[in-house]
Formats: sequence, structure tokens, C-alpha cells
Amino acid sequence: MNAPDRNLVTEVERAKSRAAAATLQPARHEDLRLVTGLGKYTADWNLPNQAYGYVIRSDRAHARIRGIDLHAVRGAQGVLAVITSDDVLAFGAKTLPTGAPLAGKGNQPINTAGMPILARDKVLFAGQPIAMVIAVSARAAQDAAELAQIDYDELPAVVSPEQALAAGAEKLHEHVPGNLALDFEAGDAAAVAAAFENARFITRHRIESQRLVGAPMELRSALVDYDSTADRYQVFTPTQGMIGMRSTLAAVSGVAIERIEVVAQDVGGSFGLRGGPASEHVLLMVAAQKLKRPVKWTASRSELFIGEWHGRALVLDGELALDGEGNILAIRFTDTVDLGAFTCYWGAFIGSRNISVTMGGVYRVPALYMSSKLVYTNTVPVSAYRGAGRPDIAFAIETLVDTAAAQHGFDPIALRRRNFIPKDAFPYKTANGTTYDCGEFEGVLNKALALANYDGFMARRIEAARRGKLRGIGVACYLEASGGGGAPKDQVSCRWDRDGRVSLFGVTGPSGQGHETSFAQIVADGLGLPLADVRYRASDPKEDLVGNGTGGSRSLYGAGSAFKVMVQRVLDRALPLAAHALGATVGDVTFDRGVFTAGDRQVSLSELARRVAVAGPHPLDCDGDSISGVTYPNGCHIAELEIDRETGVTELVNYSAVDDLGNVISRQLVIGQVHGGVMQGVGQAFGEHAVYDTETGQLLTGSFMDYVMPRAGWIQRIQWDDHPVPTKLNALGAKGVGESGCSGSLPAISNAMLNALRPLGVRQFDMPFTPARVWALLRSS
Amino acid sequence: MMKVTINVNGKPHDAEVEPRTLLVDLLRDHLGLTGTHVGCDTSQCGCCTVHLDGQAIKSCSILAVQAEGSEVLTIEGLAGATGSATQPSEHVDFTTGHRVPAMSALHPVQQAFSACHGLQCGYCTPGMIMATVDLLKRHPDPSEEQIREGLAGNLCRCTGYVNIIEAVRVAARQMRSVA
Repeated sequence: MNAPDRNLVTEVERAKSRAAAATLQPARHEDLRLVTGLGKYTADWNLPNQAYGYVIRSDRAHARIRGIDLHAVRGAQGVLAVITSDDVLAFGAKTLPTGAPLAGKGNQPINTAGMPILARDKVLFAGQPIAMVIAVSARAAQDAAELAQIDYDELPAVVSPEQALAAGAEKLHEHVPGNLALDFEAGDAAAVAAAFENARFITRHRIESQRLVGAPMELRSALVDYDSTADRYQVFTPTQGMIGMRSTLAAVSGVAIERIEVVAQDVGGSFGLRGGPASEHVLLMVAAQKLKRPVKWTASRSELFIGEWHGRALVLDGELALDGEGNILAIRFTDTVDLGAFTCYWGAFIGSRNISVTMGGVYRVPALYMSSKLVYTNTVPVSAYRGAGRPDIAFAIETLVDTAAAQHGFDPIALRRRNFIPKDAFPYKTANGTTYDCGEFEGVLNKALALANYDGFMARRIEAARRGKLRGIGVACYLEASGGGGAPKDQVSCRWDRDGRVSLFGVTGPSGQGHETSFAQIVADGLGLPLADVRYRASDPKEDLVGNGTGGSRSLYGAGSAFKVMVQRVLDRALPLAAHALGATVGDVTFDRGVFTAGDRQVSLSELARRVAVAGPHPLDCDGDSISGVTYPNGCHIAELEIDRETGVTELVNYSAVDDLGNVISRQLVIGQVHGGVMQGVGQAFGEHAVYDTETGQLLTGSFMDYVMPRAGWIQRIQWDDHPVPTKLNALGAKGVGESGCSGSLPAISNAMLNALRPLGVRQFDMPFTPARVWALLRSS
Repeated sequence: MMKVTINVNGKPHDAEVEPRTLLVDLLRDHLGLTGTHVGCDTSQCGCCTVHLDGQAIKSCSILAVQAEGSEVLTIEGLAGATGSATQPSEHVDFTTGHRVPAMSALHPVQQAFSACHGLQCGYCTPGMIMATVDLLKRHPDPSEEQIREGLAGNLCRCTGYVNIIEAVRVAARQMRSVA
């Protein structure tokens, strides 16, 4: 491998990393318990006298249920109860959430279909829950479930959107003609049509962002305890945020919110999948109330492949109109979105609004139009997975621009430069009404080109060709809209102890992002306290706070901004106390790096906090809140790869990324987020694909044996730098990082692949780029 | 039911288990050692990696009764007690009340995973660390290829593995410098 010249920035990063290791400093507050096995994930909780649930699921993709015979199940050894649809309805439970209301062409509202907690008369996907067996042990419950007799009247399975939209296709839902949930549109169709009329060059490129399985490493699990005296439910579960989990659980179960307490300590990854409850949470509530004892359920991995929301599953067909100089005149997308069997959580929002708000990307585009068909199929429902539409639209735009450059003889970099929204054009309102507040896209691009040693690529390609390798490079400039959040504001609080140490509280649910470290750092920096004296804890039920969960890359700037506001409130409260302690007037006291000074007298904030401590609430205890809306993180990612012509194996030989995330609190944690996001894009690019049998609707990739997960070494190193353009939309000036890695990597890798293959005449090649698929393509080219 | 006698983290244990009980279930459900995690049901993810008689194994792929008479080392037993009067091996977190071990009391591989930010959600981490300890026993100065192979049986969804590989290198260097 002929690696590009080592970059200075990367060397500095690596040296820092080595130095940190040499002095053995823990990178994060949460690490010490997690590296020693002292973390506590949901399945690690156990309560005395707990029973165990096991879900009986449909093994058919589409069928009427003629009868369910549970006689043998109920009589099996160790079985305590079987929860059926009757029990769920008697309990008062509703369907799972269908998402925010949406309207399509002609203001036609979306035709939603909420997923019932348990199937009753009909099953619509293989894996749909039908009943839950409760027994004295997990094994007894599973054994008994085998005895269930379900009499199905099979219906033709409608597996792909094409099948679902075909004339005469079997209907999934009686009230949904043609299996079409929503025919969405955004933008100005007439203006775009006129622009295409006048175009000198027109390019068309379709991307398929294939169906994925999110697969956080923690298995989904829940444990519910019911206190019959108080009529209260305690729900242990992985979650992205207490407020969202609790309120949705209340809405779905029909139990009043004040009767539900949600408990989570450590969460083993979420990626959009763990934001709200699934059927099992409600089933455990029903069972715990019925049996008056705690009931626990832990899924197997294979079960989650058919029992937890899938991601992506979008086809975006793009068209780009250029004038003779290469100015973009218009972009049009025609999309097909596979919702799976029901409208579940974010599914419909992803395939409509979320892919339309930034459909012009980083470019000045006079006319934009998107239409999107959201379709029901007999497959697992689709909802949010890291990026939730943002990576897909970035993928579509940036492959479209590259294709246009190649097709019409433009340099792909020059074409981008020509069309960037210039930095003096902000705030910039796009043709379909989104206002980007700030950005310096050319600055980001320049830094990325230098980091990747882009100019040296041709020499590297020639050298690779001598070794029989096809080498390609791909550039992608993404922009995404981070999550606005559903809560009215993000609220946090602090509690001081008698030793001058401060505990921080918030509601956003961490699942690996390092909140305990970054939030503590914001407060420790702001108050000039030693980091060891500041601790963050998510979601103490005693703290009555509101706020958003993790999602849409927003926790750091949402809750983080609230902490910044809180820091100022602490100082406002401390100042008169400090003045009193120093025998000075407030006007004479200054604060710098943790110390109040008046003339030659000083008192540290820690010391002051110790002195003013009283029985009862500490005088410095206070809240902070912040209303933080959407921000626009952006960046330029450059992938370089080599294809072995003999084997079809593709190696990512270099990956460089420059992101504008606004102000960065912890560089190390941000780099970690970038690495993880990029690798999820790499997984999608080179292996991951949830494949259904198109006749039976059975998931063919139903375990880690068949579903390719990215492994150690798929990327050897990622060169990263940032180009911060702080936003004024929140107190921190931060834009968020969680999803940027996926948004940059999908188009960068796809462009690199097509760049390598174009000399062979290849114009279109869909992910995943597995060795078998690459090899077959090379054989046919 | 069958009786199993095994030594876990230096302590002898007797347990009555169903013959089909997996070693990982014995560790988690019978002995309460929940640091060993379960992430799949096809022996792919490596979250359940422990050492059996000095060798890394996936504890979901053997029965508890097969471990009869064996020495098992789990993540909880890796660090050992190395605290002293001047360097306490743990402290109590003032917010949560949980005991937190001191960095200095940890095994070099545990230290390196934290120092290099080789973990995010932490779910795969105990298995990764146990696999790495075994890898470094076999290859004290591992090549890129040996690290890749040594971790091929462990999945991580958060980190992209880049910092994990760096942690393996840093741990190897630390351990060689001590040895």
C-alpha cells in the first residue's frame, strides 16, 4: 500500500494519544466501571421472585390468524401465564406510535397503520409478536412457547415496494389502497421542470440505501416491577432518554405517566433504535400487574433481527440540471421508501421531511423538488438508524454531483467549488425554505483535500495499477440538519454537597457518547473546579426535569447549552455569597478560574461552597435550561480504496475527514464519534444488508452468521481535523457530531468505488460492495 | 440438575445447574458476575469472552458442566487487588454511591482501553479486553495482522475499532516495558 504522506495533524493526534496512555489517564468518567465489568446494563438487573417472559412470534410474513391454541403452553411446566391480545386490550394499551402527522400531495394526510402490541386477526411480518409466555425461568418460558399452535391462513407476501405498488398487489391494511401510506412532495415542481427545460446538461443517478439492522451490541431487554399498593410500575430498560421513554410508554400502555418510573444506568448502544418502547415493554407491564411480581425479558440476537426496527430502506432517484458553465440549475428527487409493515416511530418522517429539508446539500440551487412514495411491505417496520435519512440524502446528492462531473467532463472538485453556498451568503435560505445559519464549505473542502493529499492521487493510482489494483478516490461534502428535539426545552440541574463537590443531572440518555465526561467538563471549565469534583448522572427520577433524549446528534449542544446557562446561574448565586465572605461589595469581586478575588483577599468556589453549605438544599443548587433548535453540521470526507481485480476484495487504504461541528468540547470524544459513524457507513458500504426472500418474506440474513457486521481493521486509520464555524443558535456554539460519520462516509465511499470502476465503463453499482458482488461486476465489465 | 465445581477469579464455587446451562449463564445468573455480557446467539460477537484455564474462550459456546474443575478468569477478576495505603484501589462515586476502581489498580489492557478511548457504550469491552489479554500473551508485540486476527471474533458497534487497535498496541508497549 502506498499511503499518502503522513499528515502533521494526524501525527500530533497520535502523539497525544500515546502520551495520554503513557500517563494512564482515563479518557472518560464512565470508563473505570465499564472496563472492570461493573457497568450495569438492563439484563444485569435482577429482582427477587422475578418471572421471565418469552415472545411467541409469527413465522409467516402475511397471514390471517384462524386460531391460536395456547392450551399446551398454559399447561407446561413452570408456566405462570400467557399474555394474549385480549389481555393487552383489556389493559387499555394502544398501538405503538406512528410518528408526527404528515401530509402529502394535495394536502392528503398520511394513511398511518399503527403496530398493535400483539397481532390479533392478521400477521403482517415474520417476527410480529402474537403472545408472551411468562414462566419461572427463561428456559421454561421458551420451552413452553414451542407448544403454541397457531393456525394460519397464508396470504401472498408483498416484500418489496415494487411488489407492493404493483397493480393488484395484496393489500396489507384494508384502509390503505395500493399499500401507499403517503405520496409526499416538497419544493416547486413547476420551477424545477422549467429549469430542466433550459438545462445544458442533465444527469440522473439513483442510489439504493439498502435495508440495515441497527444491532446495538446490548441485547434489548426490559424488567418491570409492579407495586400493587401504590399502583406504580418500575421499568428497567435501555433508553435514549427518560422523558421520551416514559411518556411514550404511558401513551402506549394507557397507564398514567406518574405511575411509571424508568430506570437505566448503562445502555449498550442505541443508534436510534432504543428511543421508545416496543411491544415487550407493555407486555411486561401487563404481566407484572397480573402476576404481582417482577417480570424480565431479554431478547436473543436472532430474535432482534426480526423483532426490532430496521433502518434505511430508501431508493432515491436524483436528477441534476446544469448550465453550460456547470452552474446547478435544479435538483429533483423521486423516492421510494419502504416503511415495512406499519408506520412505526420515525419511519414516515425519515422518508419524507427529513430527506427533503437539506435536499440541496451545500449548494446554491435555485429550484428543488422531491416526491416520495412511502409504501407498506410485509417486512419488519423501519425507523431511525444513525442519521435517519440524513446520510441517505447526502449519499444521493453527492453521488449525483460526482456522476454529473464524470458524465459531462467537469472536474468534480471544481464543480463543487463553483456551486458552494459562499460564506458571505449566510444566513442562507434554500429553495425549499430551510435556513442554514452558517458554514464555510470551501474552507472545509480545502482542508480535507490537503489532509488526503488529493493532489498526489494520480501517482498513487498509477502505482496501484502496476500491482494490478484498481484505485479510486471519492470526495463528499455533506450537510445535515441536526435534531430540533420534541421537548419544549432542555433542562439540567446541579446539587452541591458539603465538600464542595457538585452532582449534575439531566435527562438525555447516554449510550456511549460520554455524557458523564463532556457535561462534567463544561461545568468544571465554567466554574474552575477540578474535574474530579464534578459528576454527571442521567435521569435521576427524583429530579423533575424536562428535555430531549439522545437523537439527531443533539445532546451535547442541547443539554450542554443548558449546563452552560446553569454555570452562569451558579456564579450569579455565588457572587453575593463570595462578597460577604470576603467582606467586600459585589461590585468589587471578580471571578477567574474558580477563584473569587476582592483586592488581596480570595476564596475559591469550592471553599465557598463548603462554607455556605447548610442542612437542606445547598444555596448554590440550581437549574439551567436552554432552547436549542436545529443546527447544520457539515463536512468533507474523502475515501480512497483499492480493488483487487482477482478476488473482488476492496481495501479502504485511506480515509480523511474534516468536519464543521461548531465548537468542540472534547476533541477525543468527537473523534470517537466520527470513527464510529464512519465505520457504520463502511459497514453499509462493504457488507451490511438485510435481505428478504422475495416470495416468502422470510429474512434471509437473520443472525450475525449471515448479516455482515464490520470487524476490526476494516479501516486502519482515519485522519480527522475540524474546521469550526461556531453557530449562534445555542449557548455552546456547537452543532453536533453523532451522525456526521455516516453522512460523510456513504457518499465518499460510493464515489471512490465508482471512481475506481468508471474506467471499466461502470456507471451504477449499489452497496454493499462485497467481494462476491465486486468480482461478479468485474467479470461482466 | 447437575453439580459443577469451578474456580472463578481464584474462588471455588459449587453450583447446581441444568445440563444445558451454558458457562456464560452460570457466570451471570448463578454467580452474579454480570461483567461478562451476551451479545448474540451464534458465537459471533465475543461479548462473553472469558479465560478458561488460561485461554480465551467464548463462554456461550461451552456448557457449564464442561468447565467442571477448571479455572475461569472473568473481567471482574482481571485487575486483582493492587491497592496500597497511598494508592487506594477504589473510591466511592459521590453522585451514584457506586464504588469505582482506581486507574492505577487496573490491568494494563484495561488502562489502555480507557486511555486510548477504545470504548464507548462499553458493552463489548469486557470481551474485547479478555480477548486482548490472550492475544498479547501469544503475541507480546503484535503486528497489525495479528491484532486484526486476534479481534476477528469480537464485534464492536460504537468505536470503529480504530482506537481499540491503538489500545492493543499501547497495552502491548506498556506490558513489554514492565516485563
